Amino acid sequence: MSNQRKRNFQIEAFKQRVVVDPKYADKTWKILEHAIHEIYNHNASGLSFEELYRNAYNMVLHKFGEKLYTGLVTTMTFHLKEICKSIEEAQGGAFLELLNRKWNDHNKALQMIRDILMYMDRTYVPSLKKTHVHELGLHLWRDSVLHSSKVQTRLLDTLLDLVHKERTGEVIDRVLMRNVIKMFMDLGESVYQEDFEKPFLEASAEFYKVESQGFIESCDCGDYLKKAEKPLTEEVERVAHYLDAKSEAKITSVVEREMIANHVQRLVHMENSGLVNMLLNDKYEDMGRMYSLFRRVSNGLVTVRDVMTLHLREMGKQLVTDPEKSKDPVEFVQRLLDERDKYDKIINLAFSNDKTFQNALNSSFEYFLNLNTRSPEFISLFVDDKLRKGLKGVGEEDVDLILDKVMMLFRYLQEKDVFEKYYKQHLAKRLLSGKTVSDDAERNLIVKLKTECGYQFTSKLEGMFTDMKTSHDTLLGFYNSHPELSEGPTLVVQVLTTGSWPTQPTVQCNLPAEVSVLCEKFRSYYLGTHTGRRLSWQTNMGTADIKAVFGKSQRHELNVSTFQMCVLMLFNNSDRLSYKEIEQATEIPASDLKRCLQSMACVKGKNVLRKEPMSKDIGEEDSFIVNDRFTSKFYKVKIGTVVAQKETEPEKQETRQRVEEDRKPQIEAAIVRIMKSRRVLDHNNIIAEVIKQLQSRFLANPTEIKKRIESLIERDFLERDSTDRKLYRYLA
Amino acid sequence: MGISKDRIKFNVGGRLFETTATTLANAGRNSFFGALFDDGWNLSPQDSVIFVDRNSDCFAVLLDLLRTGDLNVPANIPERLLHREASFYGLLDHVRTARWGPFDGNRLRLSDSVKGTSPGDGTAIRAGPDGGCCVAHGSVVHVYDWMLEEHSPINLDYQRVNDVGWIDSDNIVLSACERLGRGDGGMGLFSSSSGDLRYKFQVSHENQVKSYTAGALSFSPDYEIFASCKGRSNEYGIGVWDQITGKQTDFFYESPGWSLGDADKLQWLNGKNCLLVATLFPRKDNCYISLLDFRDKNMVWSWSDIGSPMATDEKRVRDAIAMEDSNSICVVNEFEDLGFIDLRMYGGSVRWSSRSKLMKSKMPDEPCYPKLALHEGQLFSSMNDSISVFCGPDWVLTSRLRRSYGGSICDFSIGGDRLFALHSEENVFDVWETPPPPII
Repeated sequence: MSNQRKRNFQIEAFKQRVVVDPKYADKTWKILEHAIHEIYNHNASGLSFEELYRNAYNMVLHKFGEKLYTGLVTTMTFHLKEICKSIEEAQGGAFLELLNRKWNDHNKALQMIRDILMYMDRTYVPSLKKTHVHELGLHLWRDSVLHSSKVQTRLLDTLLDLVHKERTGEVIDRVLMRNVIKMFMDLGESVYQEDFEKPFLEASAEFYKVESQGFIESCDCGDYLKKAEKPLTEEVERVAHYLDAKSEAKITSVVEREMIANHVQRLVHMENSGLVNMLLNDKYEDMGRMYSLFRRVSNGLVTVRDVMTLHLREMGKQLVTDPEKSKDPVEFVQRLLDERDKYDKIINLAFSNDKTFQNALNSSFEYFLNLNTRSPEFISLFVDDKLRKGLKGVGEEDVDLILDKVMMLFRYLQEKDVFEKYYKQHLAKRLLSGKTVSDDAERNLIVKLKTECGYQFTSKLEGMFTDMKTSHDTLLGFYNSHPELSEGPTLVVQVLTTGSWPTQPTVQCNLPAEVSVLCEKFRSYYLGTHTGRRLSWQTNMGTADIKAVFGKSQRHELNVSTFQMCVLMLFNNSDRLSYKEIEQATEIPASDLKRCLQSMACVKGKNVLRKEPMSKDIGEEDSFIVNDRFTSKFYKVKIGTVVAQKETEPEKQETRQRVEEDRKPQIEAAIVRIMKSRRVLDHNNIIAEVIKQLQSRFLANPTEIKKRIESLIERDFLERDSTDRKLYRYLA
Repeated sequence: MGISKDRIKFNVGGRLFETTATTLANAGRNSFFGALFDDGWNLSPQDSVIFVDRNSDCFAVLLDLLRTGDLNVPANIPERLLHREASFYGLLDHVRTARWGPFDGNRLRLSDSVKGTSPGDGTAIRAGPDGGCCVAHGSVVHVYDWMLEEHSPINLDYQRVNDVGWIDSDNIVLSACERLGRGDGGMGLFSSSSGDLRYKFQVSHENQVKSYTAGALSFSPDYEIFASCKGRSNEYGIGVWDQITGKQTDFFYESPGWSLGDADKLQWLNGKNCLLVATLFPRKDNCYISLLDFRDKNMVWSWSDIGSPMATDEKRVRDAIAMEDSNSICVVNEFEDLGFIDLRMYGGSVRWSSRSKLMKSKMPDEPCYPKLALHEGQLFSSMNDSISVFCGPDWVLTSRLRRSYGGSICDFSIGGDRLFALHSEENVFDVWETPPPPII
């Protein structure tokens, strides 16, 4: 009961709430919807912006935002469907034009609609995380127009067809093209990429695939490269005219792939016009084009470089191993230098001085130059030739240039110490015979060698120069202290330091009395000024100028070797001498004596002696008479001993052996140096380090290194580790 | 536009106004006026006076704002009305920028005190980037926009909120305690306007999603979120998330004998590319301050008071803040004495500047621990019911903000050119802002 009574007192809610006109929302929306229709129908001039804005504002304010938003979507979709229909009906060329015009109309309408709905866009849309009006308009266009089945493929086909037309040389409406493509970009990056860019790239790939196939069947390599260059510039231009800038890299890579990358091998190896042909014929322009095009694709340059290297090595190998070509060392080296110049020029002009190409060139030269073990000798001979006569009348800068080139070859040598040996020999000959053309050039080269290989390498060579200089001074001093010697024969002595000069076996002979007196005087003078030294005469290396009067009192000055001088002097006292008598009197070793007699008696034009019986070779029973009928149109006659310029086989063996012998202490020194700092090291690492340390001088042979290690162990410099036999320890 | 040259006439709610297109151009394209004069709408000659059905008094104020950039609101116009009208024309941003000037700790004036409905003991107050703020009370976060209008609160259903932070003016991150048995907790992204949950940040250990308690928060300009985390099975440390993808990108595990997962404060140091992590008394018995470099997972600097003589509370660090410009960390004890630790030295000690010993004698009944903040070379420290501002290389006290109502200040925050101070006894927060620059 009480409960029921309570209900009687219940206070009713005040139901008369202020309610807006229930039809208010519909009415207001009708106004706005009408406005949107009018805007799409180009009939907006009669609309009042203030009224529409206020109405949209009020709808949002009165919580009809949802109705407004969905209404907008429906109305806009309706209009876009209409637009789509009219575009579909367009015929032929008008299609693209109409699409573009409708797109512009839609954009304009969208702007106006957004203006009206600005308040909704600012408040209702973000708070409910809806799509903003502008973006919504774009999405609806994309879904209702662009992606409608009848428009999508037709549009794409039209666009790709236009691009194809332009590629084949027709003129198209680029402005319209740009506007339509800009529509894709405005609709968002993904739309542009998916709906246009991807198919565009696919079509391009197909186009260039066919194109390149046609070219490669019909053109040679050079022409093909010219044709491949063109589309690259054309496509970049196309992007600039009517595509998104981001497409440039993509379309370029498509062209690169189809035109270049897919044909790299075929182009490089093309018969009669490929890279090898270009290299042989110095086609700088074609190679330059190949370089700039192939640089764009991965593996392109590697292929070019590999083919060049292979060709270089093959060519070089033929060059250095051809026995015909190595007959003349000067020619041999000159050919190498020419090849080097040729490829330098190619890399410079065509391959834009690419470091990797330069490295390939260097490694190739290093490879084949060392294939021929006589290369060090030949290079030294080349220098010898240049310094003897080749540089006459050549300017200082050109001398430098030639020497620099020689140094370049020198750098490739693995056996630099062999070169040093030969160089020393050749330098000694040049210095002693006074044949060197330019002292400056000699010293210049020494400086270059020094900078390349260090002080040690050239110290002996420099010692040779010092000897020459001091000898000159000593001689001056000798003659100053013996003024009585100005009459009679003149003695020229070169005092050579043992060790600095290439060793020669000392061959003794009996000098004529006039000379030996002088020699004795010089010996006592020299030993008087320098105590504690020993002088020994290298008569086998000397020369002499002697005056001779022949039959009809013809006077000649004969330039002969010391041995020959000894022989000729004997004829002052007798007209006829037998071989035996000569040998007895001079005590010249038989082989040398035979050679020097041969050159005086058997060489036409130089035969100051007559031999009985007449024959080519010298026999022990022969006898010799002064040739009274000797004539020569020259006053000075040089009677040379027959000396082979190139080394004979046994000589070569000897040099080799000497080199090997010299290497031993160097290898040992290197091992000790390394072990001193490392204390403990295993076998393989020692070998590697020794080779590395000696690289600038020669390529150390591992078995030789191993022998040296054994020898050092024997002499207690090193010991093997007691547990690990591969480990060596340094013993202080 | 059809009307003689630049001149434009309006009839607003019956009152006539005359202005120029140049003045209206100041409103920008994204406003009522910008759209009104777009070429799409041909204003015909008969529209020589444009009618606008709005409040004319407010229009006068806003027109003045467009003319001078100055906002002068007569006493008879309520703020709410003005804001409503500004919103109609799309001029709210204009009003906001004209309202207060660029922040300067020495020129602050109290602009408002806002009373909330919940009782005191707020956890934290955080200033938003555009002048709004949010206040965490237990499991509820109240959100206010720059007009200090309250939006729907964020309610976490009895999970205690530990820290709050603004990602942007529309998004707030909350870190909350895990509730026993429920496994909820961790971090969530909420809409500041509607209070709706938008995203939950997850922690994975060894590819398994684990529940966790999130503590202090910090944000880097590289769109990273840092939070101290405590997992159920001792997975303590600092978690890192990407603000854009919401995915966990990193986790810095706490090493034994050090504290990260319980941190009171995280601070991202942009210049050093490091995160400052400070765990302080009384949460732990000792203080741990460290700098973490996430690139190589390295603790590049650390300081702790373990082992140092701890005779008095005087040397207890209650808050810490890194000052990158002077390469030091500023700390404060409970008597508001400032101390400095050199960041360039490893294992340096605190150099206390015994500024005021006065406070020790008159401690209030219900003290709050001091808090520190740094803003463009000015150092702020709260103590009891006032906030001190220190400037210059020697940190001289230059201003003091005080309002003796609501009890001690338990937290304060600077952002959007405003300073918000939350009181502990009454649920009230003060808004301090710099007045617009003088006319001349």
